[in-house]
Amino acid sequence: MLTLSRVSRRYGETTALDGLDFVVPENTYMSLLGASGSGKTTLLRLIAGFEEPDQGEISIHGERIDGQPPHLRDIGFVFQNFALFPHLTVAQNVAYGLRHRAIAPVTNEKEITERTEESLALVGLSGFGHRAISAISGGQRQRVALARTMICEPRVILLDEPLGALDANLRARMCDELKAIRERLKVSFLHVTGSETEALTMGDKVAVLSGGKIVQSDAPDTLFSSPSNVDAARHLNAWNIFEAGLCGAAMGQGTIAVRFDQIDVSPKGKAPDGHPWLSAKYLTGEFNGPTALSFFRADDGTLLQVIDHLSQPRLPDMVEGQSYDLHFAPDAARQFHGAA
Amino acid sequence: MTALSTDTPTQSTHSPAELREKKDRRRAITLLTPGLLWMSLFMVLPMCMVIYVSFWTQTTFAVESTLTTASWERFLSSSTYLSAIGTTLRVWAIVLAATVVVGYPVALFIGLFVRNKTLQTALLVACVIPFWTSFLIRVIAWRPMLGTEGAINVILMKLGIISEPLTFLLFSEFSVLVGMTQIYCVFMVGPITFMLGRIDPSVIEAARDLGASFGTIFRRIILPLSLPGVMVGSIFVSVMVLGELATAASLSGRKVNLLGNIIVSQVGSLKWAFAAVAGVVLTIIITAVIALALRIVDLRKEM
Repeated sequence: MLTLSRVSRRYGETTALDGLDFVVPENTYMSLLGASGSGKTTLLRLIAGFEEPDQGEISIHGERIDGQPPHLRDIGFVFQNFALFPHLTVAQNVAYGLRHRAIAPVTNEKEITERTEESLALVGLSGFGHRAISAISGGQRQRVALARTMICEPRVILLDEPLGALDANLRARMCDELKAIRERLKVSFLHVTGSETEALTMGDKVAVLSGGKIVQSDAPDTLFSSPSNVDAARHLNAWNIFEAGLCGAAMGQGTIAVRFDQIDVSPKGKAPDGHPWLSAKYLTGEFNGPTALSFFRADDGTLLQVIDHLSQPRLPDMVEGQSYDLHFAPDAARQFHGAA
Repeated sequence: MTALSTDTPTQSTHSPAELREKKDRRRAITLLTPGLLWMSLFMVLPMCMVIYVSFWTQTTFAVESTLTTASWERFLSSSTYLSAIGTTLRVWAIVLAATVVVGYPVALFIGLFVRNKTLQTALLVACVIPFWTSFLIRVIAWRPMLGTEGAINVILMKLGIISEPLTFLLFSEFSVLVGMTQIYCVFMVGPITFMLGRIDPSVIEAARDLGASFGTIFRRIILPLSLPGVMVGSIFVSVMVLGELATAASLSGRKVNLLGNIIVSQVGSLKWAFAAVAGVVLTIIITAVIALALRIVDLRKEM
């Protein structure tokens, strides 16, 4: 179990992490979702030991690891740009950790060869060992980077936007493979990403990093259907967040959130009874294939989005620039206390 | 003539691709011409001339174009000249090793530990400060440093480490080695710094993360990746040291004779054929050294 408590890290005037508490349980695929610049990479670098926190403690299985140099921490790190050794072959890259680590290096060449092949087989690269790094594709490099980290059997593996450098097709395939590989290894993965779909697809648990803190850490479906605060909801990119006052007195005060797919549109004054509603001007629509997204501007300027699934269309024909009533079931709204 | 036509004009005998290729070729030739002209006029031609003259007949104060191998025979049988080859090679090897030993750590510091690009450039510029003054002054400045009454001897005597001045410091092979190392070190630092600066920092972090200590990372990652820089630096230093004569002339008190010094003195006494032989031998040595260096590291692959 990896535990971070009250961890802070500042760069001059900017605070990257601000008293962050975070737990990665054993044998879990943990996704960490955060916008770019939210301190995701900083968090990983603190855990791996490339940087030290200004305050707070990092421990693994109850043993404190902050202050230890990175090569003694026994934590795997898969870099966004893979960071393979350009002068070594695929097999030499993978064997590097076994052969050259400071603690308990493996000197038996036969064992090194066997474990290297085993590790390459695990990522589906059997027979690629003799290739030069420059002679394999991006997706294959990604796997080599993973094999190179896994072979050392670290206590936890950190993945820094591991799919960012791959094209969309390959990304979808690597998603499944990463999950499968982790299940075989039975070690915790901490996968950092800026994409909410990737975070929700991959994670057994998803944590949202915002404002230097973990604002929520939950199972993906729990997080998606009931974010516990505005920051978490905003990162999921599926919730309209607006002032309750826009719906009249019905919803009370404070900030509420309604999912894109749970808002309905009706002509002015035609909102069904019992449904809270607000008036908004239709701006434009966006066609995404299986879904269509419509954009509205509420009276106070808040941008609202409504998703329509093409197989079950529920929106009326709309004219750009005209106002409509947006309504939703009372239980579809999530109410947050405190300021947005 | 408003109708859109997809027909290409038929009178032209060249396709657009051919025309473009022709244009590209013409541009390449235009770019190469000045260099090629310069090289053939001032290098290839003189080089052929030198080889030719080395077979001319040398009389006391003149050469005539009767072909003979007499100069070569005399050169290759004279212990003075053969030992000059030995000295040249020895000085080259020691200076090369010294510039690597002194230059590599400096390059390692600038290229790897200074991550600020501006500071990196400033430090590299600082390395060439000695070149802001003339070659002669740089060399002669070693005399008050290394002489019997010089700074080093005075300090060592004041400290009581030695009782009388060290005489081997100046006007010896030692002072030539010191002088050359100082002058040529920067040509080693530059290329190595450049190669080290190109190493992706995350590659080094990856090696640390895999459990390697700094020593191991240096041996297995940093050194191999910077080797092309060492090789380019070595080629620079080798070419300059092998052809050296001025440092030896002003710091050795004429005790160290390099091939370069021999050529100068032979030309001075109008022994053209002989100087030509020494010149050809020197060129062969330099060519061999560069060929060897290029064999060790395949620059085409590494750069």
